[in-house]
Amino acid sequence: MLHRERIPLLWFFFQAVVVVAWCFTDMETGPGAGVSTQPNGDRFKIEGRAIVPGLKTQDWVSTARILVEGEEYVGFLRTDGSFAVNDVPSGSYVVEIVTPAHRFEPVRVDITSKGKMRARLVNYIKTSEVIRQPYPLQVRANGPHTYFMKRETWGWTDFLMNPMVMMMVLPLLIIVLLPKVVNTNDPEMRKEMEQSMNMLNPNPELPDVSELMTKLFSGSKGSSKAGSSSSKGTRPAVKRR
Amino acid sequence: QAKATAAMARLIWLCLKCIMLYSTVQAVFEDQVGKFDWRQQYVGKVRFSHFDSHVQSSKKVLVATENNVFASLNTRTGELFWRHVDKTGPEGNIDALLQHGQDAVLVVGNGRLLRSWEINIGGLNWEIVLDSGSFQSACLVGQQDTVKHVAVLKKTIISLHYLSNGHQKWIENLPESETVDYQAVYSGGNGEVYALGVVPHSHIAIVAYSLEDGEIIKQSLGLEVTPGFQPVLVSTQPNPARPPLSEFLLQLGPEHHLLLQLNNGHIVTLRDFKPAMLVSFATTGEKTVAAVMSPKNKTACSINLFSGETGRRLLDTTLIFNLDPNGGKPEKLYVQAFLKKDDSVGYRVIVQTEDHTLTFIQQPGRVMWTREEALSDVVTMEMVDLPLTGTQAELEGEFGKKADGLMSMVLKRLSSQLILLQAWIAHLWKLFYDARKPRSQVKNDVTIENLSRDEFNLQKMMVMVTASGKLFGIDSKTGSILWRHYLNNIPSNPAFKLMVQRTTAHFPHPPQCTLLIKDKDTGLATLHVFNPIFGKKSHISPPPLPQPILQSLILPLMDQDYAKVLLLVDDQYKVSAFPSTKNVLQQLQEMASSIFFYLIDSSQGRLSGYRLRTDLSTELIWEVVVPTEVQRIVSVKGKRPNEHVHSQGRVMGDRSVLYKYLNPNLLAVVLESTDLHQERSFVGILLIDGVTGRIIHEAVQRKARGPVHVVHSENWVVYEYWSTKSRRNEFSVIELYEGMELYNSTVFSSLDRPHAPQVLQQSYIFPSSISTMEATLTEKGITSRHLLIGLPSGGILSLPKMFLDPRRPEIVTEQSRCVLLSGLVVAYGLDIYQTRVYPSKQFDVLKDDYDYMLISSVLLALFFATMISKRLAEVKLLNRAWR
Repeated sequence: MLHRERIPLLWFFFQAVVVVAWCFTDMETGPGAGVSTQPNGDRFKIEGRAIVPGLKTQDWVSTARILVEGEEYVGFLRTDGSFAVNDVPSGSYVVEIVTPAHRFEPVRVDITSKGKMRARLVNYIKTSEVIRQPYPLQVRANGPHTYFMKRETWGWTDFLMNPMVMMMVLPLLIIVLLPKVVNTNDPEMRKEMEQSMNMLNPNPELPDVSELMTKLFSGSKGSSKAGSSSSKGTRPAVKRR
Repeated sequence: QAKATAAMARLIWLCLKCIMLYSTVQAVFEDQVGKFDWRQQYVGKVRFSHFDSHVQSSKKVLVATENNVFASLNTRTGELFWRHVDKTGPEGNIDALLQHGQDAVLVVGNGRLLRSWEINIGGLNWEIVLDSGSFQSACLVGQQDTVKHVAVLKKTIISLHYLSNGHQKWIENLPESETVDYQAVYSGGNGEVYALGVVPHSHIAIVAYSLEDGEIIKQSLGLEVTPGFQPVLVSTQPNPARPPLSEFLLQLGPEHHLLLQLNNGHIVTLRDFKPAMLVSFATTGEKTVAAVMSPKNKTACSINLFSGETGRRLLDTTLIFNLDPNGGKPEKLYVQAFLKKDDSVGYRVIVQTEDHTLTFIQQPGRVMWTREEALSDVVTMEMVDLPLTGTQAELEGEFGKKADGLMSMVLKRLSSQLILLQAWIAHLWKLFYDARKPRSQVKNDVTIENLSRDEFNLQKMMVMVTASGKLFGIDSKTGSILWRHYLNNIPSNPAFKLMVQRTTAHFPHPPQCTLLIKDKDTGLATLHVFNPIFGKKSHISPPPLPQPILQSLILPLMDQDYAKVLLLVDDQYKVSAFPSTKNVLQQLQEMASSIFFYLIDSSQGRLSGYRLRTDLSTELIWEVVVPTEVQRIVSVKGKRPNEHVHSQGRVMGDRSVLYKYLNPNLLAVVLESTDLHQERSFVGILLIDGVTGRIIHEAVQRKARGPVHVVHSENWVVYEYWSTKSRRNEFSVIELYEGMELYNSTVFSSLDRPHAPQVLQQSYIFPSSISTMEATLTEKGITSRHLLIGLPSGGILSLPKMFLDPRRPEIVTEQSRCVLLSGLVVAYGLDIYQTRVYPSKQFDVLKDDYDYMLISSVLLALFFATMISKRLAEVKLLNRAWR
């Protein structure tokens, strides 16, 4: 459960980093290039073809539209997937093919006042950059729109990589494996361990509180019993109380 | 007037890539589609309609509508096969629709384009640009039983095009086009194309062109016309390659039609239809029939078929159309005739009524489907809470009352728990009872009777006002229409404002909505008061409004019946109140000094603020004039009155608090330059205090133009414009802060704020154009805000406001909230789409897809693991004891 909530947060931070990085790399804007829109003059047509790999055109053309600069000019697809947007004056336009199911990259089309056409990649940051695209346009769908979040599936790796599980597994390993690695029957080793235990206890002269308590409570009962039990069995239990 | 931008305004260009955004949108999972959301697709008011008749069994009907939509409907279900939406406005207007075989030919944009569609798959065959000139008429031209051409008549020219590819065969100028008003074109299949024109107050002119080369064969002038003679003639030409039938229908009065026959120059009356509201021809095979609709009684009309040749009534062809008392009168009749097995003529009709409803009826009056096309043009809407049921009211009442003793409280609690138990058992019983029935019989419909609030009050009544004047009450959960009401006295150019005067919270007083209907031409207004849950007109009679209304405002004041007070300002700057009881007037007098309002006159560029006097007259207190020759006021956005701001400030990195400037009276005024040259155009924004008229902030975006979309909420304004320099859409965000200290933390007063707020501004690039924009709003305002952006592609994008934060370079903080709420989103336009949004995700409620299986299996597994390990431990201990 914890892991599930963490993914979006991480994703968010990652995006924030990306966004900040963008902030600093793309400060400069290119000068306005291309041709301006003239109110009167000749009208031209933008032509091209849209392709959805692996689908027949008649299955999707009825849902598609060609939008030139938002909804400034609207065109429709022919039954073979080709299109022509008529009645467009010279200028620079972003041509988009929109369908609810497939995603197409937009293309910028520049039309000179003489009707010369050129297509290039859309770059909103460096608006004057020219990376040529074929004209008449050939636009291929690059996959379906992702409207939905992917369902998280439960897998063993997810479970094992969970930080809580990791935190549990490591101590477990230590508990199980350490006694096997270290030979506790070796007297030298035992001495060494005792020494390290004493190191942990800052003041060896100070009586252990738990020991004191055990003595206090068990003292009233038979002293013979108390001696044997306090040294081993009950001591940790009382300590916990 | 356009001054420099604020000092703090920094422009950091940032590209918000769509791909990145999509991943953060609060999307639903794919298997949840239809669970919380619904969509209804509309086409608009039908202008032309054709039944596809080239195949006998076809179930298509083509419609072209006033919303520039061309669509194909399924006649069995009324659903859309496909739909094409052209550019809005006159450029996408559909002027004519012709159909031949699998092709439909459309003339679009006042004769700008000629398009041919393939109607089976909904793809374009061809599209050509026509010569300029205003469109008059178009027809299909056939010869020798084949149709190969289409003729287009314009004001001064006539052109002929091939049906197969749209190429122009010939184009000719019309003779004497200055004096003759050419209105119609037709062809009789004999190799000639006729253009018909009327010389006003004189005669009718007919010009015949040769189909082959467009030569004028003959020109005839005939038939003197007396002024004022405007007959409505309905004729039919079943096949464009053959001459039209000699029978035609002539309308003499609003309910009087004649079936006439032209016989060797003589006109013979075949039948006189009186009363007859609507008439229409239909053809199937070789038979042509006339369908006539005549009133039967007050609530129903009858439609009968008459033989086209003889005018004889056909037997067993009566069809009853029941008039909806909450609908309009029938307006148009579209008939689909077909031959039955016994060679008699059967038919189905689509009746279009004044409220834009389409009803498809089969004999003898069975309604197959209806389409409420009025919903394609929703003007305004409100969401109203559903009323509580008796049980819910009982439970809620327990918390509202004052404590009266321990015992009675305990008893009350027990009794309410009992009620809940009872309801639960009843629910279980119903489930059990329904389970035995076959699934088809179990009805889960929402009707007005069983409407009640759900646990989280997420189900609401959506009251929608449409441009046609029809009001709808729609259940937000399912999208089903619960009530409808047609207002039949709507002016031709109306403006609507819907206000909720009383919510459902004041039982036993019924909830009350008031619709202000204003005629934009005259300014005269009427009020329609109704119950938003049932749609019924209220018995409260609204006051007559003899003067044009300038402004209306709803006050937080309530009368003794808990109805909020509506103030109306007329053109004499006099104020009237509704309801106007003594109690209200008294309250108004007390409150008058603190009631301010503003008026906008965009034609003169004037914004003025007024104050109410105790005698309900008004006093001008401030005025801002924008020079109209330089710029014009495009829109003025205030804040939503029901907005709550949860956090007063933002915690900074050093634990100090930056307080928000939360002025509820702040107005964002958007200005656009009148000069549209790309070097000189600009977009300006003014932030004005609506009470004092003080200009808080001014910002100008140079080399920018509209359309500007603005969202104004909390302490920020986001607006979007088109940058002509870089040719892209840009967002600009302005945030206002009071600073590190609040001046007066208890109450905000516009009159007492000596310090100007700090203004932060930044701009961002947005990689798409925008058709509409709004901010999410939840009840207590504790969720993080998202901007909902409607894209021209038809998508809605949810953009966290966090992305548009002028303070972003310094801090990237994520504030976590503990109580989170969800909201409803309704997008309306041509379609209506409703869904839920969780601006901060739904942390307080178990998700509907909560994995009960996993959690219970994990619990069980742990349980068994402990059992087994316990046993193992015991065994081990025992073994050790033996050692």
